[in-house]
Amino acid sequence: MTIPIEYYLILSGFMFLTGVVGVLTRRNAIVVFMSIELMLNSADLTFVAFSSYLGNSIGQVFVFFVMTVAAAEAAVGLAIIIAVFRNKKTVNIDEINILKW
Amino acid sequence: MIEQYIPVFIVIIVAVIFAVATVVMSKLMGPQRPNSEKESTYESGLKPIGTTNERVSIKYYLVAMLFIVFDLEVIFVYPWAVQFKKLYSQIGISIFFSMLVFLVVLELGFLYVYKKGGFKWD
Amino acid sequence: MELKYLFNSLPYIKPELILAASLVIIVVADLIITKKKELLHYIALAGIIAAGYFVLEQFSMNAFAFSSSGNKGMLTVDSMGAFFKGLVLTASFFVFLFSFSSNEINESRSKLGEYYALLFGMILGMFFMISASDLILVYVSMELVSLSSYVLAGITKQSLRNSEASLKYLIYGAVSSGIMLFGISLIFGITGSTNLYEINYILRSPETNRVILLLAGLLVFTGIGYKISAAPFHFWTPDVYEGAPITITAFLSVASKSAGFVLLIRFIKVAFIQNSLNGYWQLLPAVDWKTILLVLSILTMTLGNFAALWQDNLKRMLAYSSIAHAGYMLAAMAVLSNQGLIAILIYFAIYLFMNLGAFFVVMLISNKIGSEEIDNFDGLGYASPFLGVSFAIFLVSLTGLPPTAGFIGKLYIFIALVDAKMFLLSVIMVLNSVVSLYYYMRVLKHLFLRKAEGAPIELKVSFPNAVVLLMLVIPVLVLGLYFTPLVEFAKNSISVLGF
Repeated sequence: MTIPIEYYLILSGFMFLTGVVGVLTRRNAIVVFMSIELMLNSADLTFVAFSSYLGNSIGQVFVFFVMTVAAAEAAVGLAIIIAVFRNKKTVNIDEINILKW
Repeated sequence: MIEQYIPVFIVIIVAVIFAVATVVMSKLMGPQRPNSEKESTYESGLKPIGTTNERVSIKYYLVAMLFIVFDLEVIFVYPWAVQFKKLYSQIGISIFFSMLVFLVVLELGFLYVYKKGGFKWD
Repeated sequence: MELKYLFNSLPYIKPELILAASLVIIVVADLIITKKKELLHYIALAGIIAAGYFVLEQFSMNAFAFSSSGNKGMLTVDSMGAFFKGLVLTASFFVFLFSFSSNEINESRSKLGEYYALLFGMILGMFFMISASDLILVYVSMELVSLSSYVLAGITKQSLRNSEASLKYLIYGAVSSGIMLFGISLIFGITGSTNLYEINYILRSPETNRVILLLAGLLVFTGIGYKISAAPFHFWTPDVYEGAPITITAFLSVASKSAGFVLLIRFIKVAFIQNSLNGYWQLLPAVDWKTILLVLSILTMTLGNFAALWQDNLKRMLAYSSIAHAGYMLAAMAVLSNQGLIAILIYFAIYLFMNLGAFFVVMLISNKIGSEEIDNFDGLGYASPFLGVSFAIFLVSLTGLPPTAGFIGKLYIFIALVDAKMFLLSVIMVLNSVVSLYYYMRVLKHLFLRKAEGAPIELKVSFPNAVVLLMLVIPVLVLGLYFTPLVEFAKNSISVLGF
């Protein structure tokens, strides 16, 4: 009795789309970051699902690396957001607009 | 397979009904005499200070950031620790030192942060 | 994989080991040295020269590293990889030399250790990107490059421009790498492997799901396209190039782009190839890469050139021009033949000198006048004729006019296109070059034909900077006339392991 692979894929597809929509519509840099994490996690879910479906462990190894990279990305992201906040006193990405066209 | 989950569903349904029912019932049956004292934010009987969505000090994010990095590196130690006995019998002591190299490099980063004053709160 | 294979593979990654060691040394030295931070410049230079020595011996290598069997591995060491590693190292050598006299870097001297440590992280990531043949390594090394460059784009965080560039770079980069990762996960699902060679083997069987493979291929291409700033994924380029310190801009425009291209070449040539006929690659019918590359290259070069026409900031103009150049190289890629590959290699070698040179001149002038706006450059060609003339040479070369090297680069792409009977693309490329003539010449008009307002500005090039500038000008001129050695060198360096 196992859950079919399609269920995982549908769930991860939804998670991915939620992430993409979040990135495109949200205006707070931290929330944008959370959406990006959601995208990475959906890819992780796909990896783990396929990994157990195909019976090989490469996918799970990949997930380890993705998790570390995601943590590093979150740390760098937070650092940069702090730097922006110190200069501009806001993290709203609509107001961060001195560079354009 | 789905039959095995029936008790769980029953519990969930009962919980939802109970929660909704108590809220609705008290709204319907209880007396409603609001005043400004009752409407104000409840803060353990003390006078509320500031709004609820207060900004967190930016230093908190610095510490959080460093925590994430050093916390998650441990992810590579887990598989190593689980397999250590087997690998040790196959390869010998070098499996221990290879992890040590990783940890030393990690500690170097920690030292760097410390020296640069990353952990100072003020 | 057993540990013994790991140790056996160490000789193949000597340059990477040197780079990693240099990174650690710089971090430690930054902690120890408190007064004379200038020493770090020399440590960094020594590091890349040592790495360069070991790259030289890789030109004759052809092997898989970190592999348990003979026909696949995590890393491939081959002559194409060595060529691009040499390219990245040359670019970083020049960028390190630029850093000596960059005002932006010297003003934040206390961060010199971080600056070099991150640059080394970036070079290390690029090296792994260049030789990666496993999607795990592709992803991790790409992130190493990206994470270092996000921070480097905002390293002098006093100015808002810097941190804004950094934030934009980060958001675009993180999104595109997330999309790429999802694509990789689908590829893993279809094939059950992350090794490019194994993926190729499995994709050859007829029962692969083409729709999902197309989707996965496009998703992965998003990540790569972002790195080479191809058209629909280029939005970050102008903002980041304008906001970042100019040394970093120069480095991103050359090194980061070349590493991205190697990834693209490997991804298409290893994972999707069926066989090679007379130097033309027959790809698996699953994904129509030729059309994708063709459309994107036209889009990229046209968009880059036309957007560059309106720019008043030189860094921003050079950013759009670098997008256009990526378009030319994508055109050579779309030929999908060995000849196209040779053209890419030649173009990159030339692009390195002319683009770095243009950025160096902009840096020297803006060090003095504190601005990169084109109106502030009026009449400066006469303030220092040496700077003015070399800037003119770089811009003529970027346009692709003889007798400079840029012409040779464009010529070889053109020949490859005509040989493959892709006439439409070659005509569009020529038209694009004509458009680019306008905005490059506009800079020269400001430099030489406009009168400077106010008091004349003293522009003196110090002796070391003059030497660096000559090191960039001479190749641009010499390669324009005597290019046979470069062509031969490129022809000998296109072997991609396995096919």
